[in-house]
Amino acid sequence: MNGAVVVTGAAGGIGLAIVDALKANHLTVVAVDLSPALADLEGVVPVQVDLATDEGVTAVVSAVENAGAPLVGLVNNAGITRDARLVNMTDEDFRKVIDVNLGAAYRLTMALVPLMSDGGSIVNTASRAYLGNFGQFNYTMSKGGLVGMTRAMSLSLAPHIRVNAVAPGLIATEMAMAIPEDVLEKMVAAIPLDRMGSPQDVANAVWFLLSPLSGYITGEVLVVGGGRSLSV
Amino acid sequence: MTVHWAAEVGDSWEEVAAEMERAFRFAREAAAEERSVVFVVHSDDLLGRRGAGRAMVATGILSAARTMALEGWRKGWTANVVAWDGETGTREETEALAIHLASTGTVTGEVVRIGPGHIGKALP
Repeated sequence: MNGAVVVTGAAGGIGLAIVDALKANHLTVVAVDLSPALADLEGVVPVQVDLATDEGVTAVVSAVENAGAPLVGLVNNAGITRDARLVNMTDEDFRKVIDVNLGAAYRLTMALVPLMSDGGSIVNTASRAYLGNFGQFNYTMSKGGLVGMTRAMSLSLAPHIRVNAVAPGLIATEMAMAIPEDVLEKMVAAIPLDRMGSPQDVANAVWFLLSPLSGYITGEVLVVGGGRSLSV
Repeated sequence: MTVHWAAEVGDSWEEVAAEMERAFRFAREAAAEERSVVFVVHSDDLLGRRGAGRAMVATGILSAARTMALEGWRKGWTANVVAWDGETGTREETEALAIHLASTGTVTGEVVRIGPGHIGKALP
C-alpha cells in the first residue's frame, strides 16, 4: 500500500496513534486538526483547520492535491463531546456535536472521494456509544449517523472504494482520564478484558481496515471494546 | 404525539442536520414530559440502501433512541424504533404498532422490523 492518507483529529490521543501506524507503514500522512498541537507532529503534511467550515474542507482538498502522492485512504477521526441528559441538552450543544462529528466527516468524504484511487479505503471512527450511552443523545446520534454513512457509502462506492468503521469503547485518552477515578474503576471492572483500551489498539484496527489485509471487507463496524458490548 | 416519523431527506448535509434536529426536539420534549416514544424509519435506510442522507438520519435516530431508553427506564418511560419497509402492511397499521409498542412499558431500546428485508442481513 503506497500513497497518501488523510487523518482528521490527528492531534488527539487516538489520532496520534493512527498517524504513527501509517508512518510506520511508509504512507504519506495528511494530518488534519483544529488544535495548534498539530505543529508538534513530525513527518506529516499538517493542515490546521476547522472542518465544520467550507474553507476547512477546501484546505484539506488542496493539501491532498499537493501532497505528491495518490490518495489511497481517509480516516474520519475528529470528534467532540458535549454531554448532558436529554432534558437539559441545549440546541447549541446538539448542533455542535452533530456538525463536528458527522457533518464534517460527511462533507470531507464527499469532497475527497473524487480524488481517491481505485482500491482506496475509508475508515470512520464511530464509537461503541452508538449502541446507546446515558447522557449522550447528541454524541450517540452523531456516531450512529456515521455508521449509516459507512453503510450507504460502502454500497455506493463499491467495488472501487471500501468503507468501514471502528467503534472504540473506553480508551485511555485525555477524555477518559477526565472521568472521576471511582467511576473509571467501575467502568473498567465491567470490561471483560479488564483494562481500558489503548490508542494503539484502535490504530491497529484502523490500519487493518485501511490495508489490503481487509480487502474483502466493506460496510462493517469493528468494535474495539474489550468485550464490553456483551457484559452487564 | 408519541410517534415520530423520519422524513425522507436528500443527500445534502443541511437537510440531514435539519431532520436530526427535528428528531432531537421531539425527543427532548417527550423526555421532559416523561412520555414513551417510538421513532419510525425506513428499514432500507438502516442498511444504507437509499443513500447516505437517509441512512445517517435513520441510524442516528436508532442510536439516539437507545440512549433515550437508558435515560427513561428508571423513570418509567420507553423509547423504541419501528423499521418499516414501506410495502408490508399500511402506514396506519405501522402507526398502530408503534403506539402499541409505546404503551407496553416493558420493551425499550429495541428496533422492531416490519417486513422480511432484514433477514440474512446486517443487524443495525
